[in-house]
Amino acid sequence: MSGHLSWLIFTPTIGAVLCLILPGQLSRRIAMLSTIAALLLGVLLFRDYLPGGSPDPTVQRQVFGSSYGSAEALKHVERVTWISGTNFKIEYYLGVDGLSFPLVVLTVLISFLACWASFTIKKAHKGYYVLFLLLETGMLGVFLALDFFLFFVFWEVMLLPMYFLIGVWGGARKEYAAIKFFLFTLAGSVFLLVAIVACFFFSGRALGEPGGTFDIIALSTNPTILKYFNDPATTLAGYRFGSMIFLFLAVGFAIKVPTVPFHTWLPDAHVEAPTPISMILAGVLLKMGAYGFFRIAYPLFPTIVHDWAFWIGLVGVVSIIYGALCAMAQTDFKKLVAYSSISHMGYVMLGLAILSPTGFQGAMFQVLAHGISSPMCFFLVGVIYERAHHREINRLGGLWLTMPTYGSMATLGFFASLGLPALCGFIGEAFVVLGTFRAKESFDWAVPMAILAATGAILTAGYILWMIQRVYLGPAREEYRHYPQATRTELSILAPLGLLCIVMGVLPQQTVFNFMNGTLNQLVGHLNSAHQQILQSMIQPLASAAGM
Amino acid sequence: MDAGQQISGLLIIGAVVPLLMFVLLAFLGPRLGKPFASFPAIFGILVSFGCAALALQRWWYVLTDDERVEAAASAYSWPWVVLGDIPIRFGVQLDSLTIAMYFMVTLVSSCIFIFSRGYMSGHSDEVDGVSKYHRFFAYLSLFAFSMLGLVISDSLLFLFIFWELVGLCSYLLIGYYFDRKYASNAAIKAFVVNRVGDFGFIIGLGLVALFLKDLSIGGAIAAFQSQSSGETGLFARDTAINLFGWYVRGDIVATLMGVFLFCGCIGKSAQVPLQVWLPDAMAGPTPVSALIHAATMVAAGVYLVARIFPLLTPGAQAVVAMVGGVTLILAALMAIVQTDIKKALAYSTLSQLGYMVFGMGMGAWVGALFHLITHAFFKAMLFLGSGQVIEGCHHEQDMRKMGGLWRKMPVTAFTFLVGVLAISGVGWPGKNTTPFFGLGGYYSKDEILAVAWFQTYGLSAASDGHHAGNFRERATDPLTNAHGYDSVILAGYSAEEGQHQTAHAGLETASGLKSDASLQPWIPKWLVWLAIITAWITPFYMMRVWWLTFMGKPRDEPVYHHAHESPGMYIPLVILAIGTFAASWFLFRGLIVDAAQHVAHISKLVVPLDGHEHLIHAFSGPALNKLVWPAFIVGFIAAFFIYRRGLKLAERIIDLPVVEQFYWILWQKFYFDEAYNKLVLAGTILFSRICGWFDKWVVDFVLVEGCARVVKGLAFFSGQRLDAGGIDQVAENLGRTAFRIGDLFRAVQTGRIRNYVIYTAATLAVVISVMVWW
Repeated sequence: MSGHLSWLIFTPTIGAVLCLILPGQLSRRIAMLSTIAALLLGVLLFRDYLPGGSPDPTVQRQVFGSSYGSAEALKHVERVTWISGTNFKIEYYLGVDGLSFPLVVLTVLISFLACWASFTIKKAHKGYYVLFLLLETGMLGVFLALDFFLFFVFWEVMLLPMYFLIGVWGGARKEYAAIKFFLFTLAGSVFLLVAIVACFFFSGRALGEPGGTFDIIALSTNPTILKYFNDPATTLAGYRFGSMIFLFLAVGFAIKVPTVPFHTWLPDAHVEAPTPISMILAGVLLKMGAYGFFRIAYPLFPTIVHDWAFWIGLVGVVSIIYGALCAMAQTDFKKLVAYSSISHMGYVMLGLAILSPTGFQGAMFQVLAHGISSPMCFFLVGVIYERAHHREINRLGGLWLTMPTYGSMATLGFFASLGLPALCGFIGEAFVVLGTFRAKESFDWAVPMAILAATGAILTAGYILWMIQRVYLGPAREEYRHYPQATRTELSILAPLGLLCIVMGVLPQQTVFNFMNGTLNQLVGHLNSAHQQILQSMIQPLASAAGM
Repeated sequence: MDAGQQISGLLIIGAVVPLLMFVLLAFLGPRLGKPFASFPAIFGILVSFGCAALALQRWWYVLTDDERVEAAASAYSWPWVVLGDIPIRFGVQLDSLTIAMYFMVTLVSSCIFIFSRGYMSGHSDEVDGVSKYHRFFAYLSLFAFSMLGLVISDSLLFLFIFWELVGLCSYLLIGYYFDRKYASNAAIKAFVVNRVGDFGFIIGLGLVALFLKDLSIGGAIAAFQSQSSGETGLFARDTAINLFGWYVRGDIVATLMGVFLFCGCIGKSAQVPLQVWLPDAMAGPTPVSALIHAATMVAAGVYLVARIFPLLTPGAQAVVAMVGGVTLILAALMAIVQTDIKKALAYSTLSQLGYMVFGMGMGAWVGALFHLITHAFFKAMLFLGSGQVIEGCHHEQDMRKMGGLWRKMPVTAFTFLVGVLAISGVGWPGKNTTPFFGLGGYYSKDEILAVAWFQTYGLSAASDGHHAGNFRERATDPLTNAHGYDSVILAGYSAEEGQHQTAHAGLETASGLKSDASLQPWIPKWLVWLAIITAWITPFYMMRVWWLTFMGKPRDEPVYHHAHESPGMYIPLVILAIGTFAASWFLFRGLIVDAAQHVAHISKLVVPLDGHEHLIHAFSGPALNKLVWPAFIVGFIAAFFIYRRGLKLAERIIDLPVVEQFYWILWQKFYFDEAYNKLVLAGTILFSRICGWFDKWVVDFVLVEGCARVVKGLAFFSGQRLDAGGIDQVAENLGRTAFRIGDLFRAVQTGRIRNYVIYTAATLAVVISVMVWW
């Protein structure tokens, strides 16, 4: 089907328009239908990647292309000029590869489940679902856009619905949380925008043309541009261009991930957001930060990345430990899960930092595993909140006796989050930690950081088990005794997530790695070779000068 | 289908069937209810046992030695993931050790599953109207799957995965009575303390991945061999490796790697300093204590050490031996003062695990694993016996209230006595070193002691009979001297000539024994004395338990009055008692010795001994024999005299001045728990509170809120003052934007947000353009 990706992105938009036009009673049904349609369109993409597990290199090349960003690597490409001026051209440029494909599938899946879980929304259905569907469009657009400007447009499109969804349908301090979310993300967007504009102009300078390019793939694969971007001699306002713009991009994405110290919007946003929005927030939105690193910040600045790997890793390790310690101190159930997200996303940063296939695969797996387990955890919290109308961990107790099936599901979800082997949380952490050990060959700091990251496992076990004890164990309490069992809807939202937790943990190769390893390995290879080439090209003039 | 596939297939089926039963029980369990929910679990484990028996039969009685080697090579193996350049496979480690462990685990599990049916049916599993009966059997099945998976894994990573899964089952089953606070506390403690050990294990795995580049057991060992042989290997003395920024000698890195891997064992096998979780784990139902916290899971640590044995350097082995040595004596001392029957058994388990670990460290590979097997049988039996007592006495666990129960439960009393005799190492030497009669520890524990003695004192103390002569002769034999190893000693098995010499404990060395001095220079001499002293304590505290429970006069009339024995439950006890006898004499030792040959070929420091002689006598000579053999007689008599009238005499002894102090230290468990609670736990929680506070007030309030307020203030200032003064265009734009960002805090008129975005974006675009063009 031509225009597959456009259909995928704009199916929710069509749903949003229909929601607007048709009466409010139909909104939920329309939203469900359009998320299901998007889910199907997303799942159809599997056709292209199914042979990805083949050990045959020619088949691999058909699936993942010959190199990062090559023509065969990008599938379902749609490319038309959107806005053109004398010196610039903004394109409507979409494409999917092994990096974006798993995230697209995650997005459509989590959106569908979150939409289903939106039965708790009691007021202003119409507006809620319209914004929800717009949000899905924004998220899909971010993952599929290959034009820098288009990427930014979708990035912003996603921001506004989220602001309203928290600010209108949220909890007691919703305004505060929404503003905080908005300002943080806006700050990130500003950095991003500066970087985009700068990259545009400087790519033009690199190529000796009056204008530049917004094409992400060209920016990250054109050797001339790469060399110019990473050259220490290239300066912007007196500073080294590469360092400065990489810093802007990194901050913009780090706010989204979020990493310490840009994380404080997350607990507030989560606590106030309604359950389905928390699911989206944790399951998809945070992943955009990580995706930004993979897609933009890294490929554009391979040399800078090499130089800064230590700091990226350090941010990751600090996030892991600090997030876990903060989680341990929380008494609000949702805040605890929110801080645990910060801790878990720290592994992604560490995996990114070590610049090896193992690290990238581990980071990306962790992104997806967290995308499955954290919505599950947030929904589990939501189920209690629906009944108890509070989230004080110390006031809960004995819920495994009051609601046995729900309790078992909760155990599964939280153990997945704890990183128990055979569940999804383990694979990413194991890859990242073992990969960091292995990275000692490139970085001297790798072993101490791997050890620090491994302490996270102890702390995580501590806070999760302590929480389970306070919430689910203990004698059944009188005030919760009348609680109804988990409903069919609730269980059917939890079941696929729980199943995925198990399947991804048991068969990581078949469920995840086969669909992305090709691209990730190419990306690592591309980063390393680009780095080498840039170094070479910088040394060459010196060498020839010395030779003269 | 060849033999290897057949046997490994059987092992896999045997592991997977309990998993299927777990899934079945997880979904259908509540509907099956009591007692039907126990049937699938029992069926599952019996299938596993059948598979184990078939596999054993084929492996041990059908295949020849050469065919076994072939079969091991063709065992099933599947690729799982690729970790960078390290392929990870899930495959079956097919050797005699796997078969022995697998058979033991399924046999003991079967007995305990059957026992549990009776035990749990009489138990209050209903809490607040919710029956947890099916959960118990579901967890047991999951445990059986995980444990069998652990035993058959041939990759260190899979070992770790199943390692964690057995830990999960342990957590779930300790916390089975989770409506009680102490049970859930104990469960958390078990899991988190194990995680501390696993933390070390992960570091060890990381170092293996880094230096050996292979996570399969065989591959890692092969890589280790090639790296540590010669002068240029990674682990040679002269290699410097940059670790943590310092340059470290290669052999020290190798030692560190071994010690980190061993950390996993410290956690799982509850060695000092992580022993604290095991006594608390007795909060779980008694069959769980028997299965998980005595017979199988806690022994997994020893199994791990056995598997990674060739990766241990002499230094790492010394660490292993010291940890074991300290554990065995501390635990034995603490066992003396326990009044809870299960706690007493738990400490004895700790002590015996200490023996195994100590034996591993000393190179008594065969002895330690043999002890693991015999211990599994008799300790499972002892725990089930205590379960009978507890169940019979209506959940009374305090031995001070028991006494004289043998009249009410004779079978239990008898099987318990068998266990006491086995753990105490009761045996009677016959002529020519062949024992007239011996049980359990008489072979296994004494073998550990014999090897330890040999490692410490060498041949000087060994007997002057022809055995030592034989030993010397072979030690100086140039043919067998070629390896340059320190001490590969095979008694009764000649690796080079490939023959069995079972008639005598002929000693063979493949290396030059430099002198009669200590063969393991890293291990201090006092270590072996700890083990010998403990050998004297063990019979005393075990007889104390037996006597206080079953003999003497009843001390609590109501408890005694109600006591009864459930006939349905003593059949497993009898099977285990028979198993204790059988394990002492048949099958297992042969299997382990067979496995040891392969380890002995690659490791410098393994000391397996063969033959059914009482090995102390044959090997280390009369000196050690005199030191160890009478221990059980003395211990039993001492226990008899002190406890024959109940606890009165013991209480008088406790009141003696010095004894009292000592008693308190023991009663407080050497203050380990105290120290951990007050320092580590409280410290972590305090630190987490500080982090939480810091996050809330410093990061969030001072930085984030502070920035926001400053911007707001600036906005007010520029908006009201500067703007009025009329300054240039760019500043006004900036000020207006800043004003609006600040304004957002007051005005939540959501409709205007879009404008702010555009303003901000546009302003910055302008700024950047200005920066770029000018």
